[in-house]
Amino acid sequence: MLDALKDIVRKSSIHVCLINTGGCNGCDIEVVALLSPRYDLEQYGIYVHNNPREADVLLITGAVTEQWKEKLRRIYTKAPEPKVVVAIGNCPLSGDVFNQEGGSVYAPVSDFIPVDAEISGCPPRPSEILEAILAVAPGAIAAKGRQKE
Amino acid sequence: MSSVIWYLYEFARKSWAEKFAAAKSGHDIVEKPARFRDFPQVFKERCIGCGACTAACPAPGAIKLVRDGDNSQEEGLTYPVIGVGACIRCGFCAEVCPTDPKALECGENHLIREEFTILPVDKMFVIDDYLCIRCRKCMKACQVDGAIYEEDNKIAIDQSKCIACGDCLKNCPVKGALKGIYIANVEEQKQIINMVVQTLEKTIEDRQDEIKNLQANEVFKMELNASDLMERSLQILPKEEMVIDLIEKVTDRLKLRVITWDEEKCTQCRLCVEECPSGAISYDEEYGVKRDPDKCLRCSTCYQTCPFGVAGYYVAKFLFKGSSDDSEESVILITLKPSNLPII
Repeated sequence: MLDALKDIVRKSSIHVCLINTGGCNGCDIEVVALLSPRYDLEQYGIYVHNNPREADVLLITGAVTEQWKEKLRRIYTKAPEPKVVVAIGNCPLSGDVFNQEGGSVYAPVSDFIPVDAEISGCPPRPSEILEAILAVAPGAIAAKGRQKE
Repeated sequence: MSSVIWYLYEFARKSWAEKFAAAKSGHDIVEKPARFRDFPQVFKERCIGCGACTAACPAPGAIKLVRDGDNSQEEGLTYPVIGVGACIRCGFCAEVCPTDPKALECGENHLIREEFTILPVDKMFVIDDYLCIRCRKCMKACQVDGAIYEEDNKIAIDQSKCIACGDCLKNCPVKGALKGIYIANVEEQKQIINMVVQTLEKTIEDRQDEIKNLQANEVFKMELNASDLMERSLQILPKEEMVIDLIEKVTDRLKLRVITWDEEKCTQCRLCVEECPSGAISYDEEYGVKRDPDKCLRCSTCYQTCPFGVAGYYVAKFLFKGSSDDSEESVILITLKPSNLPII
């Protein structure tokens, strides 16, 4: 009964906050391509706000650098529950080409915040990002609310 | 009002109704286009385990070579495993993969073969960097833009641009610095080269007795009639122009080292037997010290070892003099002089 009520209340658009923790910007450009008429992200009810306070989904791009270690945790805590974290590209997963010997890159991002979905690719195709958000976000948001009880 | 009438008229048409009924959506935006270079595909059984892909990979941890465990029948396969979390889909691994067909396939770049000139040429022009004096006369004479280029202070010919006109060869002031090499009939060419060198060597060894008496700074000169050589070469490769060119090139750079053996001087001390690196000199109680010319490397170790001057060491050079007209026969001029290596 309560779950059904929650589902109705939370049946809204997916609000997305994009965070680049120190990558090459390639993945961010793929996200921008999603906003273009070709992919038209908003037809799926997904809005990019870049405001963690109203985000359902945090998109993480880029390998975690020294400067971002604490800030990333702060942004994560600012996002309201239930929230989903999607790591885009190889940087949050493995550090990719930045993860060289002697480099100061802290990969993977799951060392700092819990990650729900991973999209590999350098950069991934916009369609792959779209697929991942749509596949994971609605279910994960619903499931998270239930885990808390 | 008129536009409403126009719309009604448009919708009432049969073709519009048919199109509307059979309307299909375009290709799905989620589909990847055929040209998209996706993660590399691995074909385990083709891999030779050379590790070239791991060396070429720019992303740390994207490729690992792994090896399956052995079982009772056969050894475990070695093959690369792509770490999807680190791979950047650059396709370098597929490009460097040396197997044919490739053990890694990624995109289409690795299927591109290097350009080659499709002109039906039988000569390839190359620059011998050792002899080139970098006068750049060939560059000025070249008609194709960029076919002869300079890199690291070396002049080179781009084989994919060269049209084999031969203008560079005509303008080269140094003999042998720029060569036109026939690229057809390679096996036959090898046979002719072997035959020419063997014949020359035999000609010199037949005159051993005269050579032995040479003084330190004396030069021994002899001639070899080349018409017999030409005839035999033409039997192997029936193209006169090519054969003459080949014999000329062979004799130009050829430097034969000749070892003579004066058995009368030998005192059977056997110093040379141990020194010879190829075992060409042997000792037998019945026959004494013997040298086998077929095994000899012409390294001059015996010449430098022998205290009695049994072995002689000479260097021969050659010049091919082609027949300028039919009355004159082509000859190979041979000059021979004692080597100025010191005797230890």
